[in-house]
Order: sequence, then C-alpha cells, then structure tokens
Amino acid sequence: MAETPKSRMSSWRQFKAILRKDIVMELRTKEMLTSMGLYALLVLVVYYLALAQVGSKFDVGYIAAGLLWLAIIFTSLLGLNRSLVHEKDQGCLDALLLSPIDRPIIFFGKSVGNLLFLLIVEVIIVPMFYFFFLSGQTLAGPFWMLALVLLVGSIGIAGMGTMLATMSVNTKGKDFILAVMFIPIMFPLLYACVGAATGVVMGDAAFVDGWVQVYWRSLGIAAGYDAIMLLAAFGLYEFIIGA
Amino acid sequence: MRRSLFGLTENTWLYLLLSLGAILTSLDFLMAFLVAPVVLGGGVGGTAMIGGIAISNQLLFSQKIFFFHVPVAISSFLVFFFTAYYGVRFLMTKDKKYDTRAKIATEVTLVFVILTLITGDLWTRFEWGTWWVWEPRLTTYFIMTLLVIAYFVLRNSIEDEERRATYAAVFGIFAFMDAPISFAITRLVPSSVHPVVLRSGGGLTGTQLAAFLMGMFGMLMIAWVMFRLRLREEFAGEHIEEIKAALEG
Repeated sequence: MAETPKSRMSSWRQFKAILRKDIVMELRTKEMLTSMGLYALLVLVVYYLALAQVGSKFDVGYIAAGLLWLAIIFTSLLGLNRSLVHEKDQGCLDALLLSPIDRPIIFFGKSVGNLLFLLIVEVIIVPMFYFFFLSGQTLAGPFWMLALVLLVGSIGIAGMGTMLATMSVNTKGKDFILAVMFIPIMFPLLYACVGAATGVVMGDAAFVDGWVQVYWRSLGIAAGYDAIMLLAAFGLYEFIIGA
Repeated sequence: MRRSLFGLTENTWLYLLLSLGAILTSLDFLMAFLVAPVVLGGGVGGTAMIGGIAISNQLLFSQKIFFFHVPVAISSFLVFFFTAYYGVRFLMTKDKKYDTRAKIATEVTLVFVILTLITGDLWTRFEWGTWWVWEPRLTTYFIMTLLVIAYFVLRNSIEDEERRATYAAVFGIFAFMDAPISFAITRLVPSSVHPVVLRSGGGLTGTQLAAFLMGMFGMLMIAWVMFRLRLREEFAGEHIEEIKAALEG
C-alpha cells in the first residue's frame, strides 16, 4: 500500500482540478445557473398556460411530479449542452485531452460539476413549483423522500447527460441531437422517478396498492438504472472523448 | 466469386436462403389460416374489460396476426443485438468494416421494427379497441423504435468517419439495452395487457408451434440475406469511391 496513495491522490487531485475549473468559471460568468434558472421559470409559466383553464375541476397533484420532472429534463438539456459547448468552443476539451488527466476522471469531474449545477437549480425550482402549483396542499410523504428521488434521478441525468452531451457537441445538430438521444435513453429512469415522486406527492390516492411500496420499488429501479448506465458510461467515455 | 461453405458461392447461398426463407414464411401464413386451430379464451378467466370492451372468450380470428407479429418482433430484437455486438467489435478493433456491419444491422432492425409496429397496431385496434395504449410492452418497444431512429439521426449529423463510427458504436450499445427490457417487460409487469405467449404452458398446440417456428426461421433467414446483400452493396459502393479517388488523384 506504500505506492498506491500517490496515484490515488493524483486521481483525486485531477478530479478536484476539473470540478474547480467548472465552479470558478460559473462563479465568474454565472451563465449556467442564470440560464438554467430562468429557463426553468419560463417552463413553469408555460405550465400555468397549460393549466390556466382547468380551474378547480382538476387536481394538479396527480401530474405534479411529472410536471416537475419535465421541468428538470428541459432545464438539464439546456445546461448539459451549454456545459460541453463551453469546453468545445474555447478549445478547453482539446487542452483537457492534452493534459495528463485520466479520461474517466474527466467524465467523473464533468458529471459531478453538472450534477452540482442541476441540484442548485432544483433547490430553486422545487419550492417555486410547490408555491405556484401545489400551495396549500400537504405532501403525502416526508420531504426527504422527495429529495432522495430528486438526487437519484439527478445523478443519472448528470452522468448519462454528460456522456451524451460530449457526443452531441461534436455533431452538426448539437442540442437537437442531445434531445434525440437523451430522452429515449433516460426513459426508464424518468419513468421510475416520476412514479416515486408521484407517490410522495399524492400518497395512496395515486396508488391503490400502497404508495410506500411503489416508492421503494421505483427508487430501486432508478438506482439500478444509475448503477448500470453510469458504469457503462464510465467505461465507454474514453472512446467518446478520444474520437 | 469467392467460394464458401460446401463449395457453393456466397451468391448461391444467399439466394438459396432467401428462397427457403420465403417458402417458410409463406408456409407459416398458409398454416396459420388453414391448419392451426383457432385460439379460444386466451387466458381471460370470466369477463375482462380490455380497452373498454368486455372480453370473455373471444380471441378468435384476430389471433392469426400472432403468426406474423411475433416472429417479426423477435427478429427485430435479435437483429438489434448485432448493432450492439458489432459496436463492441468496432470499439475493440477500430476496424471500419464492423461499423458498416453495425449500421446495416440497424437498418434491418428498422425494417422489422416498422413491421412489428404495423402488425401490432392492427391487433391493438381490433382486440383492445384503441389504436394505441401506453402499456409497458408497447411503451418500451416504442422507445426502442425511437432509439433506432436516433441512431441514424446521430450518424447523419457527424461528418468525420472515425468519430461517426465510434459514437454510433457507443450509442448502439446503450440503445440495445432497451431490447431485453422490452422483451422481458410483459413477464416482469403482470398488469400488462399484452399477452405472453412464449412461456412454459403457453398453450400453443403442435401445428400452431410448427407454423410459428417456420415463420421465425424463415424471417431470420430473410433478415440474414437482407443483411448480407446490403453489406455487399455497401462494400461495392466503398470500392467505387476508392477507385474514383485513385483515378482523380
């Protein structure tokens, strides 16, 4: 074990360097967070348009979790694309490849950076969503259960999203290609996350056979998806970034 | 012409297989309508409401679509596997020929996927009363269709050849992950209205099974011939490009 600390240390430092670069750039430009936050806000306004005519006849709670995840998908598509377009346009990606950083570490660093920004945006839009569309309602489950689904879903979105965005920035279609690949590939995760989140919001009103059971089953599927897809992405990223 | 198995040329083999596949598939149709007995009841105990229609014991003539729909659907999963397989081969070797094979496997998959969706939809309309149900099998299969389409959209959007091959290989591997999910989902989610026929005690009689297997093998043969012929076309096209480049240079 005498030799290992050095190499492990250096991987950790490589990771920190990449993450730090993203955070410093964000603190200077504030571009990602403002664009994602504003975009999420606009999505909420569009939701209001869609729901404006239903009045009190319709319980928004049943689709609230789906709408929330929809806002997260749209926002993360925007953010993921930007995160990689920056790297590409300023030649940063080429410089990263020239530097003696392990390729999987680049994936890990970029993913954690994107996860961080996504979580910050969620911290803003989840309460806003609640006040706009669910005010007055109490959640059927404790809040930490909702936070857990959001975390598990965001890990998958940030990880797979970083992988797919690295591909899409090198195509002619960029953000369009990202959406075309992202939505079908993320489908199982999103399906499970919407199921679990609906359970927390509506409880047994949405699931006759007990929402707690549905919640843990859905969360298990989402976590399994994360594990399989992120391992695959971790292994395949080297090919993507090297091509 | 290159000699291959048993001293026959590849051409001969391809046309032999094509004819045999066509004969088997036709026999499958004929047997389905003329010989195979009509399925009764299909596992619906008592009366069940499916798509707003009360079903008790009436999987009758519409069930004949099974002899076309299921072999086509299974072929689409099997052919799609080769997209992922050749993707892995490409990433291992960086040999362009595997990329071409992966692309053509996906093209053949698209043909079978479209046939599956059309035949499945006929059944859905007739038996379930609606054109579309967001039910687990249909949903996951639809997602697979989108992934196959996305594969081509991705390819068309990249100009650099090696990059296109690498990205397509990686995406093909991710995309294929949906196929086993879609295949297994009717077995995993018991609430699915989509019938599960291929299981132990599935209730296929001898002639039904024979017709089904003929269709299955016939369609796989046709898929294989499509793959090979398309591959030859592609290689011939590449060869012409090389000759053109040589002449110009």
